[in-house]
Amino acid sequence: MLQFEDRSVELRLGETVLEALERAGIDAPSSCRSGNCQTCLHRVVEGVPPPESQVGLTKGQKALGFFLPCVCLPTSPLRITRPDDVGARRDAVIRAIDPLAPDVIRLRVDADDFAYRPGQFLELVADGDLRRHYSLASHPEDDPFLEMHIRLHENGRMSRRLGEFKPGDRLHVAGPSGTCFYEGVHQDQRLLLIGAGTGLAPLYGVLRDALKRGHLGPIRLYHGARSRDGLYLDEELKALSRTRAHVDYRPCLLDPDAPAGGDVAATALHGEQDVKDSAIFLCGGENLVKRLKRDFFMRGVSMKNIRSDAFTPSG
Amino acid sequence: MPNLYERLGGENAVNAAVELFYRKVLADGRIAQFFDGVDIDQQIAKQKSFLTMAFGGPNNYTGADMRNAHKRLVAKGLNDSHVDAVIENLNYTLRDLGVPEKEVKEVAAIANSVRDDVLNR
Ligand SMILES: Cc1cc2nc3c(=O)[nH]c(=O)nc-3n(C[C@H](O)[C@H](O)[C@H](O)COP(=O)(O)OP(=O)(O)OC[C@H]3O[C@@H](n4cnc5c(N)ncnc54)[C@H](O)[C@@H]3O)c2cc1C
Ligand code: HEM
Ligand code: FES
Repeated sequence: MLQFEDRSVELRLGETVLEALERAGIDAPSSCRSGNCQTCLHRVVEGVPPPESQVGLTKGQKALGFFLPCVCLPTSPLRITRPDDVGARRDAVIRAIDPLAPDVIRLRVDADDFAYRPGQFLELVADGDLRRHYSLASHPEDDPFLEMHIRLHENGRMSRRLGEFKPGDRLHVAGPSGTCFYEGVHQDQRLLLIGAGTGLAPLYGVLRDALKRGHLGPIRLYHGARSRDGLYLDEELKALSRTRAHVDYRPCLLDPDAPAGGDVAATALHGEQDVKDSAIFLCGGENLVKRLKRDFFMRGVSMKNIRSDAFTPSG
Repeated sequence: MPNLYERLGGENAVNAAVELFYRKVLADGRIAQFFDGVDIDQQIAKQKSFLTMAFGGPNNYTGADMRNAHKRLVAKGLNDSHVDAVIENLNYTLRDLGVPEKEVKEVAAIANSVRDDVLNR
């Protein structure tokens, strides 16, 4: 009836999943035990969680099987994992590594049976123990490969390793994870995508997915970079906004002399006064994402309409 | 007579109030610092717990849970004036939503009843 990872857990009549996990000696966090605080969040990987165990979660979380064990009385068999469990590692082979800018590469890898939503991220594993997260810019229905846009940091461990890799080399991928994808958005809702640097990767995935699913509302994409080279999809995005009347691409070069700060966050906050009903996606550095999330929330946007991924450095 | 939680509108009332309430808290210079640094999404879930409790709704918190949840904040200087400020913001939120004064007072009384646990005294 109930499986936690690979072990089966006894579930007594009238018992919640949380109670069953605790009785089995599994270390499961909890606090309110009444479905509000989301401390106990877990994920169903096989089976369907009862709807009352998903109340209050986002559409994206529901689509991925997240649920709250403290209010879950299963009515059918479930296999569950911890929320951050990325599953088994899979073999991947590098198909191509190409420069997009002086410090940004486009990495394409082939991996079998890797199901994902554009905008989610995966865990890239090199040499057995070097693991970093990268967002997916590719589309599973159009691209036979997984595409990532990776900024190379001068002293970064994965950055240096990626500099040595060649097509045909092997690595591993795990995941995907994250809820920054096109789900729970209305077809004619205004879509606002804001990112800096390689934060463009997930936004580009989301943009393509939105267009593929026939999104009708206006779409505005802000991409910030420190130099012109950093606007690494400039030509392609300009061409796209010429052919698609409802797509508006706003490249933002960092301008230290601008009165409001001159970065993409300041530009977008200034340009987007009426955001209440927009679906907003925010990706890139931690400071950028935090600032925009907070400011848009304070302007009246519901957190249900804000999806984000902060590229927090690991460790 | 339906209980307070039912009169307020239950879970829907909590959902209607939580973002309004949290915006007020973040805009209130007296208490905003206690909520800094924690992700807004996570905070909103915790504030749902707070509101459910203050609205007299179903919850399993004990006094000890309230002590633990706020221990870290007491170490940072949490005192009576901050509890007053939170209750004030709660009152404003409910009035914004058109909740009658009688219920506003009942909610404030529930929040006030855990003051000593929140302040770890
Ligand atoms: C959810 C998620 C999604 C991500 N998606 C992407 C993506 O699509 N593209 C991408 O390029 N990166 C992405 N990242 C960041 C990525 O996972 C790595 O943190 C990054 O590539 C650095 O790894 P490294 O091994 O090269 O550097 P590390 O060895 O981890 O770090 C070495 C040094 O580099 C510097 N450094 C590292 N990261 C940063 C930073 N962001 N800003 C400033 N200095 C830094 C620090 O000084 C650090 O001490 C994502 C992160 C997360 C959490
Ligand atoms: C008035 C009475 C109060 C009640 C009934 C109350 C209730 C709660 C509840 C139920 C939680 C969730 C606990 C959990 O599940 O982890 C919580 C968390 C929290 N409370 Fe209160 N609270 C009160 C006062 C305050 C005050 C005065 C402050 C600060 C000004 C405050 C700040 C916080 C913060 C920051 C958290 C999150 C803690 C964390 O993330 O670990 N609370 N509170
Ligand atoms: S323990 Fe709070 S939602 Fe489950």
